Amino acid sequence: MASAAPKQNPMHLLHPSVLASLSNLELVAKGVVEGFVIGLHRSPKFGFSQEFVEYRAYGEGDDPRYIDWNVFARTGKTYIKRFLGETNSHLMIMLDSSASMGFGSQGVTKLQVGKYLGASLAYMSSRQHDAVGVMVFADEIKEYRPPASRSGSLQGVIHALDSAQPEQGTALNKPMARFQEHIKRRGLVAVISDFYCDTEELLENVRPLAMQGQDVILFHLLDPAEMNPDIKQSTLYEDMETGHAIEVSPVFMNREYKARIKTHIDAIEEAASGMNADHVLINTGEPLEKALHSYLTFREKRG
Amino acid sequence: MGLITPIFLLGLLGIALPWWLHRLETQTTEREKFSTTRFLEASRRRIHVQKKLKYLLLMVLRMAFLALLAFAFARPVLFDEPDLAVNEDAIHHIIVMDTSFSMRTAGHLDIARQLASDILDDMSDDDIVSLYTASSNVQTISEATNDPDEIRALLDSIETDNGHLDLGIMVSSLNGMVEQNQARMTLHLISDFQQSGQAVRFADMIPDVINGRPLTLDVRQVELQELVNSTVEAVVTENRNTVIASIRTFGEPSTSLTRTATLTVNGVAMAEQDLAISGNGIVTVQFNNVVFEEGDNRVDVSLSPADSLPEDDIRHTVFDNSPPAPVLLLTDNPDSLGVTYLSAALETAPRGYEVEVVNVSDFDPRIMQRYPWLVIEDLGVINSGLESAVRDYINGGGSVFAGMGPRAAGLATVPVLGIPFAQPSTGPNGRPINLPITRIDNTHQALNDSGGWASVNARVFRPELEDEDRVLISQNAANPVLLERNIGAGRMLWLTTSLDNSTSDLPVKPVFVSFMSEVARYLSNEKLLVKEQLADSYLQLTQTGGASGQVVDPDGISLLSLQDTTSAQDVLLNKTGYYQVFTPAGEVLVAVNPDIRESDLTLMPAQALQNWQNIVAGTAPGEASIVSLAEDREAEPVEIEIWRVFLILLALMVLAESLLGNRYLNLKTGSL
Repeated sequence: MASAAPKQNPMHLLHPSVLASLSNLELVAKGVVEGFVIGLHRSPKFGFSQEFVEYRAYGEGDDPRYIDWNVFARTGKTYIKRFLGETNSHLMIMLDSSASMGFGSQGVTKLQVGKYLGASLAYMSSRQHDAVGVMVFADEIKEYRPPASRSGSLQGVIHALDSAQPEQGTALNKPMARFQEHIKRRGLVAVISDFYCDTEELLENVRPLAMQGQDVILFHLLDPAEMNPDIKQSTLYEDMETGHAIEVSPVFMNREYKARIKTHIDAIEEAASGMNADHVLINTGEPLEKALHSYLTFREKRG
Repeated sequence: MGLITPIFLLGLLGIALPWWLHRLETQTTEREKFSTTRFLEASRRRIHVQKKLKYLLLMVLRMAFLALLAFAFARPVLFDEPDLAVNEDAIHHIIVMDTSFSMRTAGHLDIARQLASDILDDMSDDDIVSLYTASSNVQTISEATNDPDEIRALLDSIETDNGHLDLGIMVSSLNGMVEQNQARMTLHLISDFQQSGQAVRFADMIPDVINGRPLTLDVRQVELQELVNSTVEAVVTENRNTVIASIRTFGEPSTSLTRTATLTVNGVAMAEQDLAISGNGIVTVQFNNVVFEEGDNRVDVSLSPADSLPEDDIRHTVFDNSPPAPVLLLTDNPDSLGVTYLSAALETAPRGYEVEVVNVSDFDPRIMQRYPWLVIEDLGVINSGLESAVRDYINGGGSVFAGMGPRAAGLATVPVLGIPFAQPSTGPNGRPINLPITRIDNTHQALNDSGGWASVNARVFRPELEDEDRVLISQNAANPVLLERNIGAGRMLWLTTSLDNSTSDLPVKPVFVSFMSEVARYLSNEKLLVKEQLADSYLQLTQTGGASGQVVDPDGISLLSLQDTTSAQDVLLNKTGYYQVFTPAGEVLVAVNPDIRESDLTLMPAQALQNWQNIVAGTAPGEASIVSLAEDREAEPVEIEIWRVFLILLALMVLAESLLGNRYLNLKTGSL
């Protein structure tokens, strides 16, 4: 009698190294979300069913596909259907594409993981009919797509994410200022970055978003080699953003550096807490499950 | 294997050094990209101790190198058994036979052979024997053997030679020549033991230790009675027609002896004279009106009838009857004092020169080429036309000797040389002063006989010297007296003072004659060959004008092969008589006679011989100690140092280490 094949945890599909083998970012996002959803218990809060809830008057920016043309025929007014799980929000993904995001020790860079995460979030939001936008930035804004829930907007977001390349340094002021200029509606803002910036700078640029009523979630991407370096010999490290090189000893790297990076993470987390934002530390060597959980929890909290 | 200086083995501790170094790792920095360096801090380069050793083969080579070095300094030795296995009771008989000239005395050599044969007869079966001859040097006739008949056969082949035996030199020569073995040694010396053969220091004659081995001395004298012997000690030729011979007698004859001295010139008996010899001393014999041929003459003075040592009854000498060589003397006053002094000095020189005085006003420069060298009494008399001719003459290979007299005083530069004059040394009153000679270059050929210069006072011109001027005599650093300069193929030797008695007293000093003789010989390139040599000495062919030519011994045998005629530096004169030395310049005769000390047949006192043996016996170990010594020798075989082998291995190690280290270096370079 043939033995049954061991049941494989579908979560392994969310591992970045597995995702890196897929060249199609949309496929990656779909795989991540589907794989993630399979592992969830059914819940009315997190369902993605098409159960009808109510009609709502059509507003500017709503996808015309959801206009109930029967009601329009009967009443001459445009109404759109609302379904369970739909919150009628928008998600703005802000992806840091600075040179430091190009670092990766596990065969996948932080930027790639950021792309997967961004695409997954976009895919997930798209399924909930949320408007999704994206802004790719380094020290300049590289790509910007305003949030939209129109058909094809997801592909546009994913394309924008996919075309991001690591370059230049990190500057939060310009993308945040641009965001404030163009996005007035309340929504979700997912900032995906390694946050190699001063805490004060982060506070200065993100706090206005929170003041504006945006719900901000900071996805803090760090490579395992950044959090727990383990070197055997003295190494000359070259800064990927500035090109500045420093020779460090294993003793420093294995002791002092870890303390410093932890202090930095704590500072970012504290700063995020101070402006009522969420801070999600993501180890790029681990599956994206934690990140997606954090996102859904965040959505639930913010309604 | 053992070690002579084991303390150097402490150097083995040094092998810990490469072990430690190979555990150390100087961190090699690898460049890596990192997301940010804002949290990093530059660290100092550190050296870490590794748990694992790297480059094991290289480390082993280095450790082996240091270990070999320590062992090499510790001087390792191998112990080897002597080749000739002998019984500890055996005796090594070292027979040394005197073959010096004095052993030609009638019957001495036969007696010596018989004495040696007696020693061989007395040998036991276990004994071994070696045979040497001693004269000017010691020669090995036979290495140690236990076959007496072999030595006996060799005794008949031993002949006397013409050398002189010095017992001190003989004993020291035996050191290192005697073969090593375990037997006790007995040194048998067979000689006439002349008193003249004793070493200057008696201690030099004590052969108590040869190669660190104790021995006993057995002295066997071939003649026990004093013999009277006469010899021709010296032969001198005077005035080109008189020969004076000194006849010396050693020993006290019981009655007055009558000997006949015969003068033979070039093989022709010229005269005879009888002389009576009554005791120890010298008698001279003079032969007058002797006619010599031109050139070298073989002059022999012999005695007859033969005495105890007939071989020394003849003395060979060479008399050079060459005509005086012409010398050109340029002057502006043939009657001057300078001309007189120069002519007198040159004509009385041993070689003999005929001075041809020419007034510069009548001088035809073309005749200069007839003379190998010339003398200019005062450089001031040289006019410009003659100056050019003299310069051409020197350039062409001629030599000039010149003085600087009053005529040179008005000149701005030194004629021929063209160098200016400096201010002369002056005294407190501002006048030039005479100063003594203080510095002489004895290494120069023209100054071999430099005695007497200290008494010379001179007032000199002070030319401003150039690099090519060699100062031979000077008063001080600023006042040269005699200088030499090579010009083209020739040379010029000049005095900065006069050759008359005006500014220098050199011409009236005795040194002037010998000095001019040396100058003449030097400037005319005459050979310095000594025409009388001792037997068993070496003729330096370089003195004959270069190592080219042929040497024919008294028996008419050519001594040099064709190749040696251009390369040989010296020739051993082991025969008495006349050697003919053929050089490109002509034939030169060299007379060879035995050492006069060999003619003195006075024997060492019997008491001295006995004391000699007693002293040697006193230094030898006693019977009991000899036995124990023999046992010790068995326990201590011959040591053979092998540090050279270690040095060769060291060299190989260094080579291997370099190649291997270089290979690692290349690999590392390639990886960066």
